[in-house]
Amino acid sequence: MTEESTVQEESQAAVENEAPVESTPAILVEPDLDFVRELKAAGGDTLKKCFQCATCSVVCELAPEQKPYPRKEMIYAQWGLKDRLVNSVDVWLCHYCNDCSAHCPRGARPGDTLRAIRAMSFRHFAFPNFMGKVVGQAKYWPIMVAIPVVVLLLGLLVTGHFHIPEGAVELREFFPLYLVDVIFITFTALAIVSLGFGVWNFLQGIHANSISEGYAEDKPLVMGDYVKSLISMIPTILLHNKFKLCITNRDRYQSHLLVFLGFIGLFIVTNIGFLALYIVRVDFLAPPYSFINPVKLLALASGVALLIGIALVISNRYKEKAAESTTTYLDWCLILAILGIVVTGFLTWISRVADAGWFAYVIYFLHLVCVFYIIAYLPYSKLAHLVYRTVAMGYAAYINRPFGLQAVAAGAVAAPAPEVALTVEKPGAEEAAEEVEASAEAPAEAEEEQPAEEEEKKE
Amino acid sequence: MEKKLGVYICQGCGLQEALKTDGLEGIAAEKNIEPCRVHPILCSPEGVDLIKNDIDNEGVNTVVIAACSRRVLYDVFNFGPGLVVERVNLREGVVWSHKPIQEGEEAPPDVEDPYELIQEMAEDYLRMGIAKAQRTVPAEPYEAEINRKILVMGGGVSGLSAALEASKAGYEVTVVEKNKEVGGYAAQLRKQTPWAAPYEALQEPIIDKIIREVEAHPKIDIRTSTEVARIAGAPGMFDLTFKDPGTKSKWDVPRQLTVEEREELEKAGEEAPEAGALKLEDATPDNPASILVENPDAERFGAVVLATGWKPYKPAQGEFEHLGYGASPNVVTNVAFEEMAAAGKISRPSDGQPVQSVAFIQSPGQGSDEDFPFAAGVTSMVALKQAKYVRDDNPKAKAYIFYQHMRTLGQNEYFYKSIQDDDGIFLTKGDVVSVAGNGDGALVLEADDTLLGQRIKVNVDLVVLATGMVPTTRDEPIMNLAYRQGRGFRDLDLFDGYADSNFICFPYETRRTGIYAVGTIRRSMSIPECIEDAAGAALKAIQCIESANRGQAVHPRSGDMTYPDFYFERCTQCKRCTEECPFGALDDDVKGTPLTNPTRCRRCGICLGACPERIISFVDYSIDNIASMIKAIQVPEEDEEKPRVVILACENDAYPALDICGLNGLTYSPYVRIIPVRCLGSVNVVWIKDSLSKGLDGILMIGCKYGDDYQCHMIKGSELADIRMDKIGEALKSLALEKERVQQVEIAIDEYDKLPGIIGEFMETIEEVGPNPFKGF
Repeated sequence: MTEESTVQEESQAAVENEAPVESTPAILVEPDLDFVRELKAAGGDTLKKCFQCATCSVVCELAPEQKPYPRKEMIYAQWGLKDRLVNSVDVWLCHYCNDCSAHCPRGARPGDTLRAIRAMSFRHFAFPNFMGKVVGQAKYWPIMVAIPVVVLLLGLLVTGHFHIPEGAVELREFFPLYLVDVIFITFTALAIVSLGFGVWNFLQGIHANSISEGYAEDKPLVMGDYVKSLISMIPTILLHNKFKLCITNRDRYQSHLLVFLGFIGLFIVTNIGFLALYIVRVDFLAPPYSFINPVKLLALASGVALLIGIALVISNRYKEKAAESTTTYLDWCLILAILGIVVTGFLTWISRVADAGWFAYVIYFLHLVCVFYIIAYLPYSKLAHLVYRTVAMGYAAYINRPFGLQAVAAGAVAAPAPEVALTVEKPGAEEAAEEVEASAEAPAEAEEEQPAEEEEKKE
Repeated sequence: MEKKLGVYICQGCGLQEALKTDGLEGIAAEKNIEPCRVHPILCSPEGVDLIKNDIDNEGVNTVVIAACSRRVLYDVFNFGPGLVVERVNLREGVVWSHKPIQEGEEAPPDVEDPYELIQEMAEDYLRMGIAKAQRTVPAEPYEAEINRKILVMGGGVSGLSAALEASKAGYEVTVVEKNKEVGGYAAQLRKQTPWAAPYEALQEPIIDKIIREVEAHPKIDIRTSTEVARIAGAPGMFDLTFKDPGTKSKWDVPRQLTVEEREELEKAGEEAPEAGALKLEDATPDNPASILVENPDAERFGAVVLATGWKPYKPAQGEFEHLGYGASPNVVTNVAFEEMAAAGKISRPSDGQPVQSVAFIQSPGQGSDEDFPFAAGVTSMVALKQAKYVRDDNPKAKAYIFYQHMRTLGQNEYFYKSIQDDDGIFLTKGDVVSVAGNGDGALVLEADDTLLGQRIKVNVDLVVLATGMVPTTRDEPIMNLAYRQGRGFRDLDLFDGYADSNFICFPYETRRTGIYAVGTIRRSMSIPECIEDAAGAALKAIQCIESANRGQAVHPRSGDMTYPDFYFERCTQCKRCTEECPFGALDDDVKGTPLTNPTRCRRCGICLGACPERIISFVDYSIDNIASMIKAIQVPEEDEEKPRVVILACENDAYPALDICGLNGLTYSPYVRIIPVRCLGSVNVVWIKDSLSKGLDGILMIGCKYGDDYQCHMIKGSELADIRMDKIGEALKSLALEKERVQQVEIAIDEYDKLPGIIGEFMETIEEVGPNPFKGF
């Protein structure tokens, strides 16, 4: 037996090793018909077309070898198994590149289905739960927009600033800083608390689910180790390393990176401003900033990145073939909100500098509305993915569930296990040399193709 | 009729380069045959005119054409029914399949000309062709009054569709249906799987449209509550007796006794009735139990279309116990479920409650992934349809389908896709392990190896088993043929009970000429497939009638006007021909002598091969004909070291395969002389004896495969040959001849590439056993 065939056998075993050999007790399955309908309405409208060929799982650059996604999620979705899906860590390892949808022979669009599952996750873990429903459904959009408008107007009213100031444009004359801070800190705190509850339940949920799926050991979650794993994933996330692996949606990697970095930049800038104003009291670092202030430059750069990024996001959406993916209400909400923020932000700055009078104040008001929208609804909107996905990727690292870059790297590094002995008969010198050559090639090939095998051997 | 032969030698296609034409002309001169003409391209209009000229002006009435194989250009070399044409295969059989002796190759002593062996072959073949032509008489068709009406047995969708097709082609059709109404199972559905584009939604059953059309058609006579008691006669002249369904009539064909039953009767001192009949003396017009008595009131028909269809699979006691069948009234078959659905809303049989969830099981499991017996590609479609019923009745209901295979053939893929789209239909591959009561009045189903990745269980109100469609011929003879060989079709267990011939080649054919099977009686099929099938069966029935009308064989020797001639004066009534005829063409007459039914005959010649007295012959294929071909072969002296072997090749697969060797330039031994025979079963042992006494060194018989997976076009021909040759081994031993000299080989037409090797091996064997000691006697 040559090493090549042994390696093939082992990889076959690794791939087939989904259920244990002894018969396990049967699990009662109760499909939730309403959940199927909700998934379909949330953008997974074609999920019933899947006939389980597993092309999606094979094509996905990020899916792990053992129990890969998205195939199994498609059948869970078809069977309305809500519990398994909202608590699934795998749906968050997906970066929605749509390689799977591009290759699906039935047009079942697994990429979109997983996106719909994530949308249902937001709804499921939303705290308080009714907010999940409100933010997730188009019919409530007028209310969602009305709330920040009303709150901010009330604020103005209550503080006696319900008028357009005279003279040169001075934003804080119109909307006092303390008012901004009170409103936004309050709502940020509420968002953080709500996220906290949601994410805590989410973490417990994905842990329990991963145990029952068999990719995590049946032990309690050790927080310290988990946090370490989470931190270890940060460079990957910042650099978008997983995202880079996806083929179909290369454009999205670029646009998302820009938006992502733009947001981080603006987040840093806002916090520097806050700290400088109230805590450290360094005038140089406090707003308003002059042109050449480094903080301002960072802010401008971030804003530009964000603007270009969101413009690319929108143009990509229009480029994307309908066959591969659709854009749902939840997507547009976030996109428009970001677009709103960056456009109103720039316009505010420009109109302030240009001393455009009432226009500047109105734009500034709108800017505040957009910012409120993003922050207050963050735990329930698509933007929550920034927390959920991070938590999930950290968890995947914690349980050593290899996907994407990690898996490839692991394969390239490990050498074939020593138990695999080379038993070559000696037919003749030439033939023996050929065989040795062939089997030397085989492990190299095997490493590229079956990285998970090494992981299993390590365990 | 005075025979005047003409020999015509072609020089095209490489014949001139390889053969010496004057050598061939010499053969004709030897036999004093004039005219003997040579032409560069005999199949050209000028070449054909050359022959026609001799026919018109020289009185030639038997044409020997030495050119290409008889399997090609038979339309070109056709000079009318009164004229015999004998084809000598010099092209595929000699020049294309043999090369001259190459330099350095071993050659027999005294052979200098590299083409000598090829020339010998060609000259022998011409001798053989002339010998046969001299003994061939033009065929005169068997003339009888042929009835053109078609009888369709069974008024289901297949039968009615066949009736429509035949009547639209201008034939009168009678449809006989044992139930009170026509329509069969196709009329008992709630809805039908789609039969028209876009093939997505359930449709109203098409049968109503068909029934209306049939009832309106002037050429179709429908007789409900009628069964067939007896079919006597032959194609073109079937005599049908009808009766009320479920009753016994005096014309019922008695069941043929089995060998064991006969032996028991004999042991008890009773005489076993002949072929299921009472003793003929006891048969009277009032008690006509014998199949020989004719019913004066019988109705005559030309052909019969068998469309008696299927019946639901009835699980045996304890069968599917693990699936709860029998234990719970809520585990039903798909036929029972359809009945419920057609009657109204589906409810639980145990308590009449509406159904909230149903599970459909497509495979019984237990270690096998096969669907239920007799399912084929139909039960998958039915499960999808019935799952949709569940959802249509109650939008909150759930339907599960557990399958090992999802067979939705052709356009039905669109139907599968559309059913998949229903939110409440849950599909998974899986091995259903058990169905049991769940203690709550409902059932719990457990399945392993599912697409969900683990063993699961679901609670359901109702379970439906996807059992199949059992052909009616599995358990009953159905046919009631007044044939000596028995009233039903024989050996149907080879085909699991389906009414079948060797349907891979010949759909609709059965082993009884003139009787054509259509629809679910020949395999499980859906309604649209039945409708399509019906056109084929109707065409076959028409072909049969029109062929019989012209005195021609129907199939597979379509157009053959010869039929077996019996010289009864020497018949010893050994019954070998009547027993061995695969098609039951021979009955017994009152004396026990074979009674021929020429229109039943397929002209295979197996009777000719069987007869030890050699009394059977065809005008162009007889004991004498073939024996004279053998005797025409020139056998060289022993010291010339040129063996001579006769190859008897059946015309169905073996002879074409030999031709294909020639077409592909594959070469084989030049020492063989090939004689095409109608079927290896038609090979009479006397030819073997003649070959050996002539001094031929060996006889190789090449024919189609036999056995359970047979390809023999005459069903049993090559098998019979094998049995007979076994017996010949004894005779050979007594003559001090090695039994290796006579061998039989099975070949399929696509295995032509093996033939050179097979022939080569045989020649090696002959070399080993040495030349025939009878050479030169």
